[in-house]
Amino acid sequence: MIELQNVCKSFEGREVLKHISITFETGKTNLIIGLSGSGKTVLLKSIIGLHNIDSGKIFYDSREFSSMNSLQKKEIRQEMGMVFQAGALFDSLTVEQNVMFPLEMFTNFSQKERKERADFCLNRVNLSKNAYSLFPSEISGGMQKRTAIARAIVLNPKYLFCDEPNSGLDPQTSIVIDSLIYELTAEFHITTIINTHDMNSVLEIGDKILFIYKGEKSWEGSKNEILTAENSYIEEFLFASSLMKKIKNRF
Amino acid sequence: MNVFFHLGRYYLLMAKVFSKPEKTKLFFRQFFREVDNLGIGSLGIVAIISVFMGAVITLQTAYNVTNPLVPSYLFGITTRDSMILEFSSTVVGLILAGKVGSNIASEIGTMRISEQIDALEIMGINSANYLILPKITAAMFINPFLNVMSMFVGIFGGYVACVATNAVTPAAYVEGLLFQFNSFYVTYSVIKTVIFAFLITSISSYNGYFTNGGALEVGKASTKAVVYSSVLILLFNVILTQLLLS
Repeated sequence: MIELQNVCKSFEGREVLKHISITFETGKTNLIIGLSGSGKTVLLKSIIGLHNIDSGKIFYDSREFSSMNSLQKKEIRQEMGMVFQAGALFDSLTVEQNVMFPLEMFTNFSQKERKERADFCLNRVNLSKNAYSLFPSEISGGMQKRTAIARAIVLNPKYLFCDEPNSGLDPQTSIVIDSLIYELTAEFHITTIINTHDMNSVLEIGDKILFIYKGEKSWEGSKNEILTAENSYIEEFLFASSLMKKIKNRF
Repeated sequence: MNVFFHLGRYYLLMAKVFSKPEKTKLFFRQFFREVDNLGIGSLGIVAIISVFMGAVITLQTAYNVTNPLVPSYLFGITTRDSMILEFSSTVVGLILAGKVGSNIASEIGTMRISEQIDALEIMGINSANYLILPKITAAMFINPFLNVMSMFVGIFGGYVACVATNAVTPAAYVEGLLFQFNSFYVTYSVIKTVIFAFLITSISSYNGYFTNGGALEVGKASTKAVVYSSVLILLFNVILTQLLLS
């Protein structure tokens, strides 16, 4: 469980996050949604400690992350996995080496054990064996995302963060990636936080949804509640596309 | 104020860089990769430039000094001392600032903008230490070898020029090479090279590490790395010469 209490963050006097409080639950996919520039990425980066927050508190299973020193943060970070928007795979390493990297850094596994664990994770994300020895530049965007997910789960994280995991992917691959994250969250009982503005993700895997508008928490609920939410900003956001407008008008 | 900001940030970065590596085995793997990339990969360019510079120094001295009172072994001394004192350390340093500096800044800058550095941080890895320390230590280790190689190749270039043009007799050239040789000059040159290696790698890494934005900014960081490294090499050349030779 990750809990945020009155989290504020500003850059050069410009307030980007304003008093955000929410609890992200374990074993559920928690979504942060909002328009571009609403502060989603800053919130995610603040939660994982890439940005230092100005005020407020962040708890990881009752451990106050925001007041920890760098050594304590480092310990918590080894319980985190992160899937970046563009994958952030290491260019100089092959797909398999990318997944083995955290194991090499933080475990005393033998080369054989590392390879077995990496192959298990790559297999779990349904990546073809032919891709294991390829470099990130040689594989498709969808395969890069799968590799990034495999790398993120290789150390059995307690917390999984995904920054727009569907960006740049076709709708079909997006659904596959969503399902994968959803299944892994339940299977390994992870606290997953996904930063997205993909409507399909919202309606399919949003166990808990936080809607941010101009840096403020505007709405909180689940995928079952969002379509009937009485919030004009959410309505604008949900039905921005003509497809969603048509669906709304039909029903 | 801007200068103090950069100086402060540079020192803080170096404090992060010079900490104990997460895994010694991984550090040494990276170290040898960088020795190959930054050092062995620069052998060709250093050798080519040195051999031609040695030849040109010999020929220019021979063609410009026409006074019959000047002994012919002077040309060997000139080439030897120019190569050892200045060319193999400072000029090679400037060349490496262009080749290695831009390589480091663009590599780390690209890792920054593609969030690879963030990925390392999220894993709980000291990214500055993991990425930069092997580069600095590898360059400080391998550059003295490049430096000494440059001296030999440059002096050999001068000899080849003598044989090919007969502007100076090879025997006189060799006599000049051996005349009143001061071995401290080699030590002085190696000391300068080690310090220049640190300047090139640390300044370029700093520029790459704090890149913000996209491809344009990576290009700018790369240019800044070369310019700042070159200027500081020239400044430290004066300081070290005064300290070591006065």
